[in-house]
Amino acid sequence: MAIPKIPEFKAEWKEGEEGRWGMAVDMDLCTGCQACVVACSMENNVPFVGEAEAGYGRSLGWIRVERLWEGQYPEVKMTPYQPVMCQQCGSAPCEPVCPVFATVHSQAEQLNVQVYNRCVGTRYCANNCPYVVRVFNWADFDRPDPLPNQFNPDVTVRRRGVMEKCTFCIQRIHRAEDQAKAEGREVLDGEAQPACAQACPADAIVFGRLDDPESRVSKLSRSNRGSHLLEELGTQPRVTYLKGGSNDRLG
Amino acid sequence: MANLLEILKKKEVVLLLVIAFLALLSGGAWAMYQTQIPPEQPIQFPHNIHVGLQIQCLYCHPGAQRQASAGLPTQQKCWACHGQLRKYSDPAAPVALNLWPTELQKLAGYVERNEPIPWVPVYQVPDHVHFNHRPHIAAGFACETCHGDMSKKTVATVGETVNMGWCINCHLENSVEDPLKRTKLIDCATCHY
Repeated sequence: MAIPKIPEFKAEWKEGEEGRWGMAVDMDLCTGCQACVVACSMENNVPFVGEAEAGYGRSLGWIRVERLWEGQYPEVKMTPYQPVMCQQCGSAPCEPVCPVFATVHSQAEQLNVQVYNRCVGTRYCANNCPYVVRVFNWADFDRPDPLPNQFNPDVTVRRRGVMEKCTFCIQRIHRAEDQAKAEGREVLDGEAQPACAQACPADAIVFGRLDDPESRVSKLSRSNRGSHLLEELGTQPRVTYLKGGSNDRLG
Repeated sequence: MANLLEILKKKEVVLLLVIAFLALLSGGAWAMYQTQIPPEQPIQFPHNIHVGLQIQCLYCHPGAQRQASAGLPTQQKCWACHGQLRKYSDPAAPVALNLWPTELQKLAGYVERNEPIPWVPVYQVPDHVHFNHRPHIAAGFACETCHGDMSKKTVATVGETVNMGWCINCHLENSVEDPLKRTKLIDCATCHY
């Protein structure tokens, strides 16, 4: 009996491909107010796990505002506030390790997607993610009574035992694309905005098309103030962090 | 291991195993049947009569053209026509409510009590699937492609087995010559997020 050949799985990514959707976060503007964290949780039906579970490191935020210490104790310096969400890597380390193909690369949107109904909860992807942005539903967390009324019907309510992560608010991307298609045009710059970018009072998070060189996010990504998290790993992250340098925000 | 084989040789044990297997099988069949029967509706709405009167699907389900959900008509929408049917509500010779057809009496009851009609959606997809009517209507698909010929149905029933294979089949058939369209149509993120 001939054994059917199993196709080799690898993230299909070409060197130099810039991706479709991207984000630029200006760390000089971020005040660490956590509005993006709250907006993200509300938009994406992310439950609040409570203090005890959070103590075990089981918090379920899709975005976190990170701040690190630099130097030894008495002479510590704080780094700027840095919102960290899924970097939607072009060559994502989480993808090839999933045994059930629940974390796949969306060829159409050039995003890294989590297919909840396929996920069996091995948590390999989270262990292989260098940015530690994948979170696991350790339980069916309780949502006290008024909270279920604000569920977003466009987003799946995940069950226990499922890995989840930032999707770049793909439901909003779809809505914008749908509207653009109905009107027979391309998606306008700024038409699709994830909840974090929308909520940011300092306008530190900018989202848009990376394959359009004229879009705001493309210009910011090319800026000499920009850098990528753990760029040396070759993950091709789609989020650019801007810091210091020129006063010109587009420079 | 040898012990287990000895036990399996006994007739009673084999019989018990067969019974257990059959029970599981029939349980599964019953569960699958349960998903295929149409749900109980508050009003036994006759689609065939309304479609026969040349009323467009989009008149009562207008959401299909502009949003994800096609929507189910409110009592105001029903009453907009039924409140002025000459047959029953002619101001010159109104027919008493208790002489109306039973299903119309139910509708009149909802209107009188100003209650929404608790329609039960028939075509449902799981929570992790995000179906959107709008692109399907925009692509020029007729309602009966998925919902069957409603001029032959009274209460709405599921005409097709709505599962992923069925969706993907149609998506593949309709994107044979356009690889870009196919990329979009068979992408996980198109429906699952």
